[in-house]
Amino acid sequence: MTETLQNLYLGFSVALSPEVLVFAIIGCVVGTLVGMLPGVGPLAGISLLLPATFGLQPTTAIVLLAGIYYGAMYGGSTTSILMRIPGKAASVMTSIDGYAMTLKGRAGPALTIAAVGSFIAGTLSVAFLMLLAPLLASFALRFGPPEYFALLTLGLLVLAFLTGGSMPKTLSMAAFGLFLGTIGIDLMSGFFRYHYGIVELSDGIGIVPVAVGLFGVSEILLTAGQDKAPAVQKPKLKDLPPSRQEWRDSTWPIGRGTVLGFLIGIIPGSAHIISSFVSYALERRISRNPDKFGKGAIEGVAGPESANNSAACGAFVPMLALGVPSGPITAVMMAALMVHGIAPGPLLMEQQPQLFWGFIASMYVGNLVLLILNLPLVGLFVNMLRIPYAYLYPSILMFCVLGVYAVNESLIDVWVMTAMGALGYVLRKFEFEVAPIVLGLVLSPMLENALRQSLSMSSGSYAIFVNRPIAVTMLAIAAFLLLLSFLPLLRRGVASSRAQLGLES
Amino acid sequence: MSGFLRIILVVAALATFPSRTLQAQGTYPTRPITMIVPFPPGGVADQTGRPVAAAMEKILKQPVVVSNRPGAGGAVGMSLAANAKPDGYTILMALSSISIIPEADKLFGRQPTYRMDQLAPVALVTADPTVLMVRADSPWKTVKDFVEDARKRPGEISFSSSGIYGTLHMAMEMFAHSAGIKLKHVPFSGAGPAMTALLGNHVQAFASGPSVVLPQIQAGKLRPLAVWGDKRVAALPDVPTFKELGFKDVEFYIWSGLFAPAGTPEPIMKTLRDTMRMVVADPDFKSAMEKLQTPVDYRDAPEFKEFWDKDAAELARAVQRVGRIEGAQ
Repeated sequence: MTETLQNLYLGFSVALSPEVLVFAIIGCVVGTLVGMLPGVGPLAGISLLLPATFGLQPTTAIVLLAGIYYGAMYGGSTTSILMRIPGKAASVMTSIDGYAMTLKGRAGPALTIAAVGSFIAGTLSVAFLMLLAPLLASFALRFGPPEYFALLTLGLLVLAFLTGGSMPKTLSMAAFGLFLGTIGIDLMSGFFRYHYGIVELSDGIGIVPVAVGLFGVSEILLTAGQDKAPAVQKPKLKDLPPSRQEWRDSTWPIGRGTVLGFLIGIIPGSAHIISSFVSYALERRISRNPDKFGKGAIEGVAGPESANNSAACGAFVPMLALGVPSGPITAVMMAALMVHGIAPGPLLMEQQPQLFWGFIASMYVGNLVLLILNLPLVGLFVNMLRIPYAYLYPSILMFCVLGVYAVNESLIDVWVMTAMGALGYVLRKFEFEVAPIVLGLVLSPMLENALRQSLSMSSGSYAIFVNRPIAVTMLAIAAFLLLLSFLPLLRRGVASSRAQLGLES
Repeated sequence: MSGFLRIILVVAALATFPSRTLQAQGTYPTRPITMIVPFPPGGVADQTGRPVAAAMEKILKQPVVVSNRPGAGGAVGMSLAANAKPDGYTILMALSSISIIPEADKLFGRQPTYRMDQLAPVALVTADPTVLMVRADSPWKTVKDFVEDARKRPGEISFSSSGIYGTLHMAMEMFAHSAGIKLKHVPFSGAGPAMTALLGNHVQAFASGPSVVLPQIQAGKLRPLAVWGDKRVAALPDVPTFKELGFKDVEFYIWSGLFAPAGTPEPIMKTLRDTMRMVVADPDFKSAMEKLQTPVDYRDAPEFKEFWDKDAAELARAVQRVGRIEGAQ
């Protein structure tokens, strides 16, 4: 423990040196901006600034890039809460209850809780990272393709089970998302699937156009279909901070989201996207009033926002402890270090203590900076709602088109967004939840590859899922949940179970 | 990717439009050059491309903008460059896989995304031999151990790769063919996940560029068995080459080279080639490559062409041997 404190002292002496501090702040500011713009995700932000880091000290470079990454996790909630536009997959869940709160005039508390939740999650997970990295890293490595497949299957079912709405409806939406995800090149064989000769589709359908279309564009269409325009809000200063009840309701979701997000985040791969989905589902299931979810429950903002921040931090565990990139973003950050002649590996902590501990300490500092930066912005952003809808909505639509186009400079993406907007409109009229589509789309390639890699490893034998303890445990839980959801069918007969499943009201 | 930056650039370009038309009559280059990197930032092509672009800027006195256009194993960016206007303002930093994609297209009988003769080689920049890696706790101390064990249990020892028909897959395939062994292939979506799979003991072997695995070797996690190169790797002086071990035709490099669209006028090609000769002598470029532990292997267009043709023929044969892959196996 004293050793950790000594190291931390070393870290803070690095992190608080003027040069590092300035770049940590720049990183956080850029990250917040990047997170707010729909379409420009943290990966694009980091990639853009990567060349600028070549002339910096390695510690400064990594601190800058990390700041963008977790800063973007803070910023991502803003457009979700105010306009129901998730700029990236991680903030999809926030847009449901966050936007519902905005409609009720509680945008200020939603934004505040999102910032505070992110701060707590960020700070706690850096502490986990500092204390547990070596331990957890070796655990994370045990997640091979079979474990990954089991985890994703469990994630999908947990979600459908916990969300509490109609399981058939949720699962059919998730299945539709999984189908969408099969479009594009098949990584295992090199075949192109369902791209109909369109080059842009050979890489699959992007998550951003789908999320923006299903959530943002459909919302604009729904509002346009109302008899009269929603009243323009005049936010007052006293409505900005959350009420005492809202604080109390957020405490545990933040705590649970933090732990959940961190555990999912350390697993190599891009599974950390499911952290915010699972956190939302968990909160809804254990809530005493699950009915208020979707109608502006603060827990539905606090949990997922904490989870995605904590997952972002967890993703550094394999990178720092093992030199293993846990996803595209950490891969770019490792590349940034390699340009300086530092190859991250298992010995990084011993060979580069200044870099390692400076990086850790800078994350504590960065989270504080982000909190200080984001809280005053709440007042500013909430005032955007004063703009009459006749001006606000067309400009939101314009930013959607611009943002989606900018990701790949592809018009196809804009068409995908438009089609998804129309689809989202129809689905929401029929009271389907659209979030599982996004989740299915994100998980589809991972799920498929994990399954097929597992079968390659076992030469086609499905026994591989039974012989590996972690995989079989997770699959057993998934099967149990599935059975549990059919229980009402046995107990109360078909008619009432149809109502139970949400097929008849 | 760099969407917003480009929008800003376009706006800036429009703002200076009148002045630009006046000076457009000068010698090449009179405006910014776009270097397409058909892979995401942080990969080998990007890490080589950016220092090259920086050095070119100094020499040509015009911005050289790196544009990452990843997708379909590099096919998206490469076909963009192949179909670009041959005016010297679009150039391409590509890897060995440039020769594999058209061959795989042929195999599947699909419309090729580009033909190799649509691109003209400018210069070879780097060539990094791959290294055969196994876990440090594996029973195999030498290639001989590995091959003997693999002969005893054909198709049971598995290896990971950066993707089907990818460079790392092809390297292993060449070795397996030469040694007469059958290995089990588990493709991943990049070299990073492929290494993670080996570290997690989900596969038993993998081929990799040296710089990525050096820290794992130092930490005692992985063991190198042999090198695909013509001579030993400086950082791994004790590791033999496959050629030394008697595998005559097992030679493979992950190389990076600069290309221009075919039909680019001869004077512009000459400017580009001269520029590249100066780039590899640039001290900043040299120090960047040293830090990345990537050996520079500069070759001018004629020699590069010869190298490329030979390499492409070798890779074509490897792709043919692997054949069409149906289903998971």
